[in-house]
Amino acid sequence: MEIRRFVSIATTHYHDEGLSRLLKNKGWTIGTALLLVFVLLLSACGGNNNNGNQASSSPSPSAESASPSASPSASPEASPSEEPSSSPIAGGSALDEAYAGKYKGTKVTMFGPFVDVDQKKFEDAIKEFEEKTGIDIQYEGSKEFEATISIRVDGGNAPDIADFPQPGLLANFAKSGKVIDVGTFMDKNKLAANYNQSWLDMATMAGPSGDIMAGIWNRSSVKSLVWYPKKAFEEAGYTIPKTWEELLALTEQIAKDGDPAWAIGIESGAATGWPATDWIEDIMLRTTTPENYDKWVKGELPFTDDIVKNAVRKMAEIWLNDDYVYGGKKSIVTTAFGDAPKVMFDNPPKAWLHRQASFITSFFPTTLKSGEDYDWFYLPPIDPAYGNPVLVAGDIYAMFNDRPEVRAVMEFFTTGESIKTWIQSGGVIAPMNDAKAEWYTSDVERRMAELAQSATTLRFDGSDLMPGAVGAGTFWKGMTDYISGTVDLDGAMQEIQAGWPK
Amino acid sequence: MMRKSKGRDGRRRGRKGSKTVVNLVLGIICLLWLIPTLGLFVSSFRPATEILKTGWWTVLPHREYVAKEQLQLPKDTDLRQPIEVNGTTYTDDQLREGVKTDEGTELIWENRRARTIDVRELGWRMSTEFTLDNYAGVLTGKEYDIPKPDGTVSKEKGSNLNQAFLNTLTVAIPSTIIPILIATFAAYAFAWMKFPLRKTLFVIVIMLLVVPLQVALIPILKDYTSLGLNGTFLGVWIAHAGFGLPLATYFMYSYISQLPKDLFESAFMDGASNFTIFTKLILPLAVPSIASISIFQFLWVWNDYLVSLVFIGSQPDVQVLSMRIANLVGSRGNDWHLLTASAFVSMLMPLAVFFGLQRYFVRGLLGGSVKG
Repeated sequence: MEIRRFVSIATTHYHDEGLSRLLKNKGWTIGTALLLVFVLLLSACGGNNNNGNQASSSPSPSAESASPSASPSASPEASPSEEPSSSPIAGGSALDEAYAGKYKGTKVTMFGPFVDVDQKKFEDAIKEFEEKTGIDIQYEGSKEFEATISIRVDGGNAPDIADFPQPGLLANFAKSGKVIDVGTFMDKNKLAANYNQSWLDMATMAGPSGDIMAGIWNRSSVKSLVWYPKKAFEEAGYTIPKTWEELLALTEQIAKDGDPAWAIGIESGAATGWPATDWIEDIMLRTTTPENYDKWVKGELPFTDDIVKNAVRKMAEIWLNDDYVYGGKKSIVTTAFGDAPKVMFDNPPKAWLHRQASFITSFFPTTLKSGEDYDWFYLPPIDPAYGNPVLVAGDIYAMFNDRPEVRAVMEFFTTGESIKTWIQSGGVIAPMNDAKAEWYTSDVERRMAELAQSATTLRFDGSDLMPGAVGAGTFWKGMTDYISGTVDLDGAMQEIQAGWPK
Repeated sequence: MMRKSKGRDGRRRGRKGSKTVVNLVLGIICLLWLIPTLGLFVSSFRPATEILKTGWWTVLPHREYVAKEQLQLPKDTDLRQPIEVNGTTYTDDQLREGVKTDEGTELIWENRRARTIDVRELGWRMSTEFTLDNYAGVLTGKEYDIPKPDGTVSKEKGSNLNQAFLNTLTVAIPSTIIPILIATFAAYAFAWMKFPLRKTLFVIVIMLLVVPLQVALIPILKDYTSLGLNGTFLGVWIAHAGFGLPLATYFMYSYISQLPKDLFESAFMDGASNFTIFTKLILPLAVPSIASISIFQFLWVWNDYLVSLVFIGSQPDVQVLSMRIANLVGSRGNDWHLLTASAFVSMLMPLAVFFGLQRYFVRGLLGGSVKG
């Protein structure tokens, strides 16, 4: 109380003693200070650029120095301690040496976007490897992976290994030379034997000087799936459609019976619209050649082209028909993608079909049994000329620091063994061929793996490959605008196309 | 202040009449601000399935149509033709939305497939399904069902918030004390000590207020990498101290510089050193000001996500609460319903700090803004 009274007296008498006294006297002080701050800022930015260049140039010499030596396990630091017995060919790979206990006590840091239960499954999957080799893989998961990885790499604090769900993002790092070319130490024949060629092609990206193999695929998910409530579906006497016409006939049949067939929701916060892009990609693969699809992903085939518009029209036949969509077309944009399928499991089902990738089962009510209460069928082909294409997504592991133990871990991740227990507990499909079919504990997931392996065309989620401004920007937004009815088809396609960098 | 308002007594009395209006407006604004928080609070006690179906306000008593009886239409009713119910024909769209009948009841599809229609009447209802599961999931950790190869399902407990709560305290307390201590020293020096370049240095500190901290993230991260400070508490203390210093220095300066000069002159005459003056005079006098800037800084650090994301990361032994909560929702946001409860858990500490230091807060808000 005393202090307060004292202060109030003080303030009445000594107003403005401080700051203005300092500032009034000399005008130049402010000018100088402004200049100083400006210079500081400039130097901060400039320094940043310089360092960036240094950082970007530093990995490439090491990569170059590694590649001519052709010895798959020789990293500059490790070579002195290397035993002469390590053969330069596949047999003496870093992985074998790791199993021999050579890297005991070393640490490999890993950074990725999956958290929570997925992190637990991942840690279970690598436990055996860690125990055998003595290498400690320290995984760190963050929901803000996409933003954080750029900061960390630019700040010189890159993890040894990073898990990219969007290869488009990894391509940026590959281009600036910050990613180690795994092709320099991995055995090409082994890789070719263990992966579908499509996967290897998708891992090859443009480096600062020529193409490099920017990473290896560790997990995949299959996207061309239509989920349905199996029990009710069979009781209602419906059959699984094998062609697009049959799919439309089934949709019409369900509508006649009194329900909308499809449960569709594309709301996903800032990413609203992405489930629509998956539909377009799936239909593109079914209505045009894989070459056109690749061109479209690269930006050579514009969205305004009739091929793309045709795909959108095909989708609109279902989406924009109020009889076919639960809640009508107006509810598509406002329904969260994870909540959309839940109406299929009401009793009786309020909707019957839901096209979504394999991960959607984590949103299903936990009381349901996979294979009994729900199941999936392959989204049927539209034009038989294009066979049975399958749309996939996946996680590619890239390497930022070249140390022998990191090489060993990367090689480990090319084996099906590295995700064995994860496959067993469900949720992932292995892109590697040496993952055994009996590892899948549910028939539902085993069939997904078979679907991906037997696909005539395997293509990666296009929006994840496009530059962020389109694939995670105007493509989402344009589809949302089109479905909500704020723009027409031509307007939407122009809006999306405008996102491509000029 | 007092001198200025002397001549305005008449107007002041006129203002008193409008005081109720001002209070009313303030009350309404407060209410508007509180409603979302209230909704969040109610939602944190509701099961996820209920949140999806109805809004939180349905926990209040309200009038709603309740099913009274069911009508069975012939199974072969064509839904695309006008539909006859009890002698009146309706369209399918009407029955989907619900249509009023002459008796004041409402007809709506119960099950279109089975061709059953609900006859509903207005009645008082309130939603009473509450659960503590959300809080249990947040406080004791989520339960994961991990199927094992032999067909069994092992239940595993995820980590709870305790460690993250402690980590956040470990980050927030030093990150509040360090910058404010330095800022108070600096403010005293800028206000009452004579040394070369004093004005220039002070103006630079003020100018730093406008520099966004995001600009500094990558350069600092580089320095930290070479110093090995990434992912350590020390690193984030220094970062928060640095980012908080300009405002704290300015805030403390505007207060300390207005203490009466006579006080220092007499202290100097009695032979007190600068350090004695600081510890014996300034610190006790500046307590209200220190308390209010502490609230600002503490709340900022407690709620911070970006700085922790960049400099600490999400290893469980150092991860802070804001990041832990963001991860709680799962890789694909499938456990969004836990956010309501975790938001309230994370609010506890700031609320405690705020109410503990609340009597200083209003004065603190005026710090640096009121002159003479």
